[in-house]
Amino acid sequence: MAGVTEYIILGAVLFAIGLVGFVSRRNLIVMFLSTEIMFQGVVVNAVAFARYHRQLDGQAFAIFLLVIAAVEAGLALGMVMWLYRRRHTLDAEAWSAMRG
Amino acid sequence: MTSEAAYILYVVFALGAVGLYFLLPNPGRKSAGVGAALGVAAVGALLVFLSQKIGGRGEGSGFFYLFAGIAVLAAGRVVTHRRPVFSALYFVVSVIAVAALMVLQEAEFLAIALIIIYAGAILVTYLFVMMLAQQSGSPVYDVRAREPFAAVVAGFILMAAVAGRAGDLPEAKRPATIPVMQTHTPDGLAPDDLAPGESALGESTLGDPVEFEMESHTLSIARVLMTKYVVVLELSGVLLLVSMVGAIAMSRKVVPVDPNRPAPTPLGEVGKSVEPF
Repeated sequence: MAGVTEYIILGAVLFAIGLVGFVSRRNLIVMFLSTEIMFQGVVVNAVAFARYHRQLDGQAFAIFLLVIAAVEAGLALGMVMWLYRRRHTLDAEAWSAMRG
Repeated sequence: MTSEAAYILYVVFALGAVGLYFLLPNPGRKSAGVGAALGVAAVGALLVFLSQKIGGRGEGSGFFYLFAGIAVLAAGRVVTHRRPVFSALYFVVSVIAVAALMVLQEAEFLAIALIIIYAGAILVTYLFVMMLAQQSGSPVYDVRAREPFAAVVAGFILMAAVAGRAGDLPEAKRPATIPVMQTHTPDGLAPDDLAPGESALGESTLGDPVEFEMESHTLSIARVLMTKYVVVLELSGVLLLVSMVGAIAMSRKVVPVDPNRPAPTPLGEVGKSVEPF
């Protein structure tokens, strides 16, 4: 059985891939898909630590992470629809004026 | 983890980062094949490194390497594919691989919840929005990445910083009793109404050593959620409600009032002009 170190490294890799996608992709939908990949990395870590310490707190955290991911997806997609109606594009660069 | 192993890990990560850089969409570059080869080589090297340097060769570890490889490759495809629908489908692959890893970690309930919530609910919502908002063809924002070099460097530094210290964990403080594998019947769930020596099946077990059913994983995680984290559980319900209201308020469409629409009947007038029943 693989130990906790492998799971931490796997979680770090998933989180970093999601970060790269979020920063570099310009499609709003793909950006939010990348955040879901980052959530996956965190869930892997939480569950690995739950097993490492033989406690269920990590798995409870992972369930709350799922709740947060669902909330984030709902709000983000509502926002994407709103932005799409304003500019008729999914390009994040169309809103670069918000950079200030 | 020894420092030598950490340096090997950094090299593997750098290989993967270079592959990811070449795979990110860029119309002026024809090196996606090189990127794919580098990426697959990096994932393979990572798995070999994990199995040789970190240990973990034992029962079930083969499944870990299989599903970890699938999860990382699919995640890489999610962020590099030029068509968002394919990104979403690769995301399903990644979620299912991660759910398999949850099963390996004795988190069966979480595995099923991951598949139902992510691959079921969230993914369908994403595909729905894609159908509503996606433009035909490949728009320019899907084929040209924004600052791919800086993004890959940031991701590599984060990955190396987290994973390079991954082996330096303190010894786990394991409780004497293992919650997942508890063998006692908890209070409140004990079959109190049964006479001593009588089992629920009606067979006499008098004199035999009492065997209690092993508590299932779902039951034990429900016990944690409903006792220790019950306030957080209620708060997350409130959070879901608030986000639902917010999403509806944000995505509603303002419909102009139809001028031909008849004026609404004033309150209290309905019963005077219309027979109630």
